[in-house]
Amino acid sequence: MNFKPQYNRIVKKNDLQKIFWRSIPLNHSWNYERMANVGFAWALLPLLKKLYPKKKDFSQALTRHLELYNVTQYISTFPMGIAAAMEEENSLNSDFDESSISNVKTALMGPLSGIGDSFFWGTVRVIATGISLPLALQGNVLGPILFFLIFNSVHYLFRYYGTFLGYGLGTNVISEVEQSGLMGKLTKYASIVGMIVVGAMTMDMVKVKFVSKIGSTKAGGSTVQSLLDGIFPGISVLIIFGLTYWLLKKKLNPLWIMLIMLLVSIAGAYFKVLG
Amino acid sequence: MIVKTILIFLLTFLGYSEWFLGTSYVQRPIVLGPLVGLAMGDLTSGIIMGATLELAMIGSISVGAYNPPDPVAGTVLGVALAIQSHASVGAALTMGIPIATVMLALNTALGQPVMLIFIHKCDKDATQANTRKFTIDMLISGWAQSWPGLVFIPLAFYFGSGAVEKMLNFIPDFVQSGMNIAAGILPALGFAMLLKMIVNKKNILFFFFGFFIIAFTKFTVTEVAIFSFIIVAFMLFYIPDNEGNVSSSVSNSETDGDGFDEF
Repeated sequence: MNFKPQYNRIVKKNDLQKIFWRSIPLNHSWNYERMANVGFAWALLPLLKKLYPKKKDFSQALTRHLELYNVTQYISTFPMGIAAAMEEENSLNSDFDESSISNVKTALMGPLSGIGDSFFWGTVRVIATGISLPLALQGNVLGPILFFLIFNSVHYLFRYYGTFLGYGLGTNVISEVEQSGLMGKLTKYASIVGMIVVGAMTMDMVKVKFVSKIGSTKAGGSTVQSLLDGIFPGISVLIIFGLTYWLLKKKLNPLWIMLIMLLVSIAGAYFKVLG
Repeated sequence: MIVKTILIFLLTFLGYSEWFLGTSYVQRPIVLGPLVGLAMGDLTSGIIMGATLELAMIGSISVGAYNPPDPVAGTVLGVALAIQSHASVGAALTMGIPIATVMLALNTALGQPVMLIFIHKCDKDATQANTRKFTIDMLISGWAQSWPGLVFIPLAFYFGSGAVEKMLNFIPDFVQSGMNIAAGILPALGFAMLLKMIVNKKNILFFFFGFFIIAFTKFTVTEVAIFSFIIVAFMLFYIPDNEGNVSSSVSNSETDGDGFDEF
């Protein structure tokens, strides 16, 4: 398979370079509700405008990328490149299934973040710290300078070339896959990977603990949490998640849900129910 | 003192521009510490105190949705107040760590809601195809989140460590621990919104599959993701597709949210 970008359609090399530059403030607008969504959409914005001259289509495309997204920022250009290729295809081909863009993005989110986080935070940062910290502890100005340079030279190398790799992969794989009629299948299976990863990330990142004691305190430290964990581990997260999902399906504004969560958390801490 | 306070404000702003500058680690104590030292007229102490704080906060990195204690507040105030009062390296640490923890709670409690107003403005800008406003709201949202730090840190420096301690005691403990609890619960909202977007009758089971692997085992999300790729590859190559036209089965507009009413 050939991953080299061809630039024989709408997207040109300087469009991708623009994505690289605009990917830099990705996590500037990172929020608890939809994480890096605004940053991702902002990076693709000029390209989407070029691909969709009609205002309605452009607005739709931009909104599509405002869904929750999270990825190690240093390799964020890779899924952006893939998204660019898929948006290009979508703008040229009226049969293209738009939901496949979100599905592919979501499917990549977990694996990319997992690999990116452990590589950059676990490996590159640790090496940079290991080299520079002994110098800095002695007051040598080379310490902080080396730390900054080592980490960021690796970081920007990956960030820059990730854009072109993602786009090349996106265009070549997508056109090949579409000719063989595999696109529908791929979308379906990408959504399955997405679902598994979303389930895993929910359990991994949502943290809730019911700390209130049951029965007489003299009898020992049996908490509601240990009782719940006795049913099966993760039930408390599932309860919170289920309630949140239910409120969303009731069309309650996410901002209100967020406020409820904040108030419940503070009240939970005050009455020592949550911890 | 006024000049120094202005310099401290500028360094605080630089620290909170971390994400704007590509998460390039300008806010790590090892980088920010020397700059604070420079502003306070003692570069060497700044380097050493920064490195000491770096060592203490080495695990404080944001992975996924976890936000660590705020290294900006910890480094700027810890180092600046320690140099100001001619204190030892350890003083930067004892002041810096509690400040960093409280600042995280403040930024989450007071900063995030303000930020979300601008995030929701971006939604509106996108529907109106207003790219200029989208950019402006994107830029404001990030710094809006850090407004408590931008206001509190220079003031705390100006009024000194005694006032800082009083302020810390003023915030009730349960509000601080409540903020930590909220930081754990809030991601549920994002994941619920994501699920709502990709769920249909056929793939809902896979959500629980991923969920319970993490709940019951010690696998990481990456490992689960790798397994899910293998499972899907297996399905793709070995299980014949008996649906005829597959592409219609995944369009989520018609099946949106179905089959998940049990909650």
